[in-house]
Amino acid sequence: MWYGVCSLGEVGSCGSWIPYKKFCRSFLKLLVCVLAFITSPISWAADYNLFIETGTVNVSASPETGNGAITIPVWSYTDVNGGTATLPGTLLESVEGGSITVSVRNNHNRSHNFVVQGLTSDTTAIQPGQTRNYTINTPTAGVYLYSDTLNSNVNRALGLFGALVVRPSGGVKRAWTGGPSFNQERLWVINDLDKPRWTDVANSGGTVNTSVYKPNYFFMNGMNGFQAMGDAATNLEGSVGETFLVRIVNAGQFDQSLHFHGNHFLTISRNNTRLTTFEWQDTINVKAGTTAMVLYTLEQPGHYPMHVHTAQLETGNGVYLNGTAAMIIAH
Amino acid sequence: MKLNQYSIRSCATILVALAALSANPMTMAMHRGGGGGGGGGGGGTTIPVLNATNVSLSVSSLTRTMSDGQNVNFWVFCQGGMGGMGGGGCTLPSPVLELGVGQTANVSLNMMMAPQEPSPYNGHTIHPHGLDVPTSEDGVPETGASVNGDTYTFSVDSRYVGSHAYHCHVHTVKHLEMGMYGAFIVKDGNRISSGGPTYDYEWNMVLSTVDPAYHTATGDSTVFADYNPRYYLVNGQEGLSTGAPAETFTAATGKKVAIRLIGMQSVNSTFRIRNASGSYQSFTIYNKDGFALSSPQTVTSADVSPGQTMDVMVTLPSSSSSWYPQVTYKNLRNGGSYSNGTVYTRLNF
Repeated sequence: MWYGVCSLGEVGSCGSWIPYKKFCRSFLKLLVCVLAFITSPISWAADYNLFIETGTVNVSASPETGNGAITIPVWSYTDVNGGTATLPGTLLESVEGGSITVSVRNNHNRSHNFVVQGLTSDTTAIQPGQTRNYTINTPTAGVYLYSDTLNSNVNRALGLFGALVVRPSGGVKRAWTGGPSFNQERLWVINDLDKPRWTDVANSGGTVNTSVYKPNYFFMNGMNGFQAMGDAATNLEGSVGETFLVRIVNAGQFDQSLHFHGNHFLTISRNNTRLTTFEWQDTINVKAGTTAMVLYTLEQPGHYPMHVHTAQLETGNGVYLNGTAAMIIAH
Repeated sequence: MKLNQYSIRSCATILVALAALSANPMTMAMHRGGGGGGGGGGGGTTIPVLNATNVSLSVSSLTRTMSDGQNVNFWVFCQGGMGGMGGGGCTLPSPVLELGVGQTANVSLNMMMAPQEPSPYNGHTIHPHGLDVPTSEDGVPETGASVNGDTYTFSVDSRYVGSHAYHCHVHTVKHLEMGMYGAFIVKDGNRISSGGPTYDYEWNMVLSTVDPAYHTATGDSTVFADYNPRYYLVNGQEGLSTGAPAETFTAATGKKVAIRLIGMQSVNSTFRIRNASGSYQSFTIYNKDGFALSSPQTVTSADVSPGQTMDVMVTLPSSSSSWYPQVTYKNLRNGGSYSNGTVYTRLNF
């Protein structure tokens, strides 16, 4: 709507000095235009411009059985105006003690918001076509879930979530300033969705019965299991002795119990609460809507899976290994 | 996704031969008390305890009649040669395997007569869960493990003193649910954890849940897209009340009891101990996932999520009574409770 007011022709007319009445009218328009530009993503020059869009996520078939390929509609935060939504939302990055500015434009046909868990409290709805700006202070290094908190989890379940990673300043490879060091870092944003009862209903404009949630698809960085296990940016691949910092964000509604083969890892923080003494584990329960950070050091060569140790979460709609998974590959 | 190029089988074969030369005589103690005390009791099926340095397991079908009268078919690992139908002498959960620090495990899987699924989910494996074995011994078909019988050879260092598990890793969504799991305990005398204190008694508790639909479905079925547990088990027993516990364990007053919690269930769970007056008793966690905590934690409640293990210890009072260790199974969505979702056991002293 602001863009309509500020069409180039009208801006041009603001520059005309005669006649007086027209000038006044045009001057008011100019004022409005200037104000609009100040609050618009273009002139506000935010660090991140996010756009709420619709799109799809493609689930690939199991190479074992050929089963399971499907396309599922999603809503998400993207970094392209008019772009196509994918999972997860655009990665936001900041440094410890710093801040970032984020402008969120809602190009979807219903209202949404943008909340960074533990860091922002503005839950105001962004109406369709509107833009809202946020300044996010990031005093503590870690990993944060951002999401749309409206509509009883329906909007988040449809895909409106992402991660904010906060690193120590100066590019140091530590989990936080003075914290444990690592060689490589990975981000695992996991989520679940209930296609028939939530996604399909909400996407076609219906009302979701939120008391029933039976997720049948599970994603790792927006990928089904077989895609994720072949994704270099997801897998922990390196030389024996290398340590990975894995930042995990559970954007779904099911707790996920992630089991790592190969060797134990050190849990160093849960939901950005740093453990006073780190704990060795081979399975970490990342509860719905929380985050965790673990250090996984490749102790022996070989190929090892990481998977969820829970029945249906190992599948995509019942197709084995198409749920939450990754590979650990040590040379 | 077969990654057969990474299969390293020849080394396993050599190790098997070496292990066979030095194998200890197989022990098969039908005890629960273990350790120094020899406690134990009734209330459920006694689970065999086998020495992992030289053990052969087969796979057998086992039909159990549950508390509501429904029959459920399980697949379990059994000691010795041939499996197949009937399951005579076989138990749910599968036998406890024990391995000392510095010993070499030599666990054979005999596939003769084993019940199985059609291809591509045919066959079975043994995955030493939490023992961090090399790829060749890991029992994962997708990284090259044989599904037609194998010998798993490995050893672990002292970090692993405590509770782990083993289970089939073929089409795990079904095979784990079918009952193909058991406790795997790494021992250093009677120490509960690496460098930890000793216990007088040890009590293994294998946690599991049962969705009967999983027991009849096969392949890439949409049955496996949802999980609706109906039966909640500790050591294969339902234990619906303190008066009908899944298991009763007997120990002497004033002694220390190690309780090993092995989470093979597919939902969340919380472990607590009620005393005779109904209040929650504190206990101390020494291990999580079979690795010692640098500072043991004394609590009155501990969560054991799917795939996790925990070693806890209690010191019994000096006067006789009963405690009721219990496991409450919880929904993955919101931690909500299930009908009959708490399994009670009983500790007499």
